[in-house]
Amino acid sequence: MRLSVILRYVGTVMLCVSAFMAVSACISFANNVDTGFYPLLLSSLLTLLLGAFPMLFVRKAQSITNKEGFTIVVGSWVLSCVVGMFPYLIWGGEFTLVNAWFESVSGFTTTGATILNDIEALPQGLLFWRSATNWIGGVGVVMFALVILPSLGTNKMALTNVELSSLAKDNYRYRTQFIVRILLFVYVGLTLITTLLLKFSGMRWFDALNHAMSACATGGFSTKNASVGFYDSWVIELILMCAMFLSSIHFGLIYATLMRKGNNIFRSEVVRTYVAIIVGTSLCIGVSLFAAEIYPTLWESLRQASFQVVSLISTTGFATADTNLWTPFAIVLLIFISIVCACAGSTSGGLKVDRLLLFVKQLAARIKHQQHPNAVIRIRVDGVVQEADQLNGVVVFVVTYLVIILMATVVNTMFAQDLTTAFSSAVACMGNVGPGFGEVGSFDNYAQMPSILKVQASSLMLMGRLEIFGFIQLFFLKWWR
Amino acid sequence: MKGIGKRVTVGFLSIVALLFISGMISLFELSNMSNDTEDILSATKRNIEISNELLNTVNEHGRAVVGVVILGNRARIDDCHRLVSELEGAVSVARNEALDASRLDPLSASVAQLRSMTDAYFEATEPVEVPVISADSIVIGTNLEVPKTTKSGREWYDSEYKAASDKVIASIEEFMTHTHASLAPRAEQLNKNAYRSVTPVLISLVVMIAIVLMFFYFIRIYCVKPLLRLNKALSDYMAFRLPFNVKDELIDEYKELYDNIETLVNLNKQQNNKQ
Repeated sequence: MRLSVILRYVGTVMLCVSAFMAVSACISFANNVDTGFYPLLLSSLLTLLLGAFPMLFVRKAQSITNKEGFTIVVGSWVLSCVVGMFPYLIWGGEFTLVNAWFESVSGFTTTGATILNDIEALPQGLLFWRSATNWIGGVGVVMFALVILPSLGTNKMALTNVELSSLAKDNYRYRTQFIVRILLFVYVGLTLITTLLLKFSGMRWFDALNHAMSACATGGFSTKNASVGFYDSWVIELILMCAMFLSSIHFGLIYATLMRKGNNIFRSEVVRTYVAIIVGTSLCIGVSLFAAEIYPTLWESLRQASFQVVSLISTTGFATADTNLWTPFAIVLLIFISIVCACAGSTSGGLKVDRLLLFVKQLAARIKHQQHPNAVIRIRVDGVVQEADQLNGVVVFVVTYLVIILMATVVNTMFAQDLTTAFSSAVACMGNVGPGFGEVGSFDNYAQMPSILKVQASSLMLMGRLEIFGFIQLFFLKWWR
Repeated sequence: MKGIGKRVTVGFLSIVALLFISGMISLFELSNMSNDTEDILSATKRNIEISNELLNTVNEHGRAVVGVVILGNRARIDDCHRLVSELEGAVSVARNEALDASRLDPLSASVAQLRSMTDAYFEATEPVEVPVISADSIVIGTNLEVPKTTKSGREWYDSEYKAASDKVIASIEEFMTHTHASLAPRAEQLNKNAYRSVTPVLISLVVMIAIVLMFFYFIRIYCVKPLLRLNKALSDYMAFRLPFNVKDELIDEYKELYDNIETLVNLNKQQNNKQ
């Protein structure tokens, strides 16, 4: 593995991060040089220097090996989180070293969990930087899934097999350059449209842009303490729901649908399953809330339920209601969707509907096989036969994912966290969802957590974002040889 | 960028630039902190000075009042007036310099009460000319007599003046403590500034360490290692006639050097073949 090549490409990502810091500094400057200006400017300069330095010596590599490509992605993510905490640390306030790390990791992994008790106390530049980390993280994960992983070619890399459904792979028939264009087209386009719609529905430009960036990255950072609940507007909620929903679907499929290609959203079995889960859970939770008289009308119950379901399943984490006050049935369903999450190839994290679908189909095939021992049963998604390697990968991933959540829950309970908080925070961090239940509910934050648990939560976020195995590989010496 | 010299120079300049930035940040933050500290110290010092002046004036006024009302030395009445005016002047100065002027209202009120009370007493005990009337009811002259009041001078001093004077002293003490309390947020700000002055420097240092390590690594793999490999390859060729081959990635002058040596080796081989 060529460290110099890795440093050069990670440096390129640092330059991108530095550019966003500079934009945030400009916003601070425009806002009467608020207190965020100096921290952002300094951080931008330092990151620029850090990113540009390797370019002095290392030439652009003609080819990158699988390991190098993967290390570049993981390294970029970790280093982005490191430099991303510079503005927070320099600004001070509620940001200690651990808090700044947590906030930065939460931003870049598009988790959206926060340690801030008073978000509105932050200067506008820093608020924009928080949303920018979400947006960069969102584009990063899609780049990772759409550009880096397919470019690894035919190599038997476990992560490629686990990450992508066959249907998703069909969308990689395009050239890499073209995929980048698709990504930018969908991601930037979606962000711009959402910003405009939010503006026209009553938000300020600044808030509209921040919320749009957060929603399209399925991050969940808001500029208000009460999150989206601050606006109490069904129009804003509807716009954000659409943005969150679209951002949680495979971007290649969105592009294919827009271009009227064959493999579009409406034909995708994964998307159909995803929609079914959303509609089903929204209805169940809505009725449950209405029956428990938490909301006066069925319409209001359905409105709150559907927003919260889309927000959690897309791993965004915006809140319009305190879900801690909801019925146990609703809470259990919300935790379930926080584990499953959205589709592969999108900006969302979690287990992914693709894997759930394959897992359920495997289960059905197993039962059928017991009934007909000699039958040759093939598992198909959208008519494409799934290979055994891929199916095994899904099982390994699902089991590992759940084991890690359980282990994190045990560690959380060791530090006097109640079971709901311990389990839901592990689920929320691992799935990059953000809000959990109990002390880390939709209207609460992670500030009260002990520092060690914040570090654990940050590691879970990174692990979830990098699909577990990618993150774990880095800690094996063999990987680096 | 081409040329190993240029690359090394720019690398060093980057480190120098970072050192310069760190230095400037330290200087800027330390001067900010120094200003804040100076502000707090000067505010504390001024508060002590004003409070001391106020307390001294009150004490002096007390002594002058004792002179008038107990010792009967009415010549000190002017001193009393002057001292009360000085007290009012000091309060006015304190009011101008205070962070929250409204906090001085009780002191102003108590000083005003002290003035009005002593003025009233002095006026009430002002000797008046009383006509001296002879036995046949003819005014033969005048006598200065102090009008009879309900309280004696000592009684008035103990019961009324002392209470008013204590009230003024209590107000001064409150002014002192409040000023110090109002300096607490500024001290907290100083604490924050101290944090803010250390953090950027620490971050700059971390970045600088990362850059120095990268620089060391790049110099090693792009300058030192190729030179060693070239030398080894050349030595192997000369000693054992092994093929001249360097597998490392060579850049700039090293690449040129390699090409030149390779050409030289090929020429040498051709000459040997001819012989």
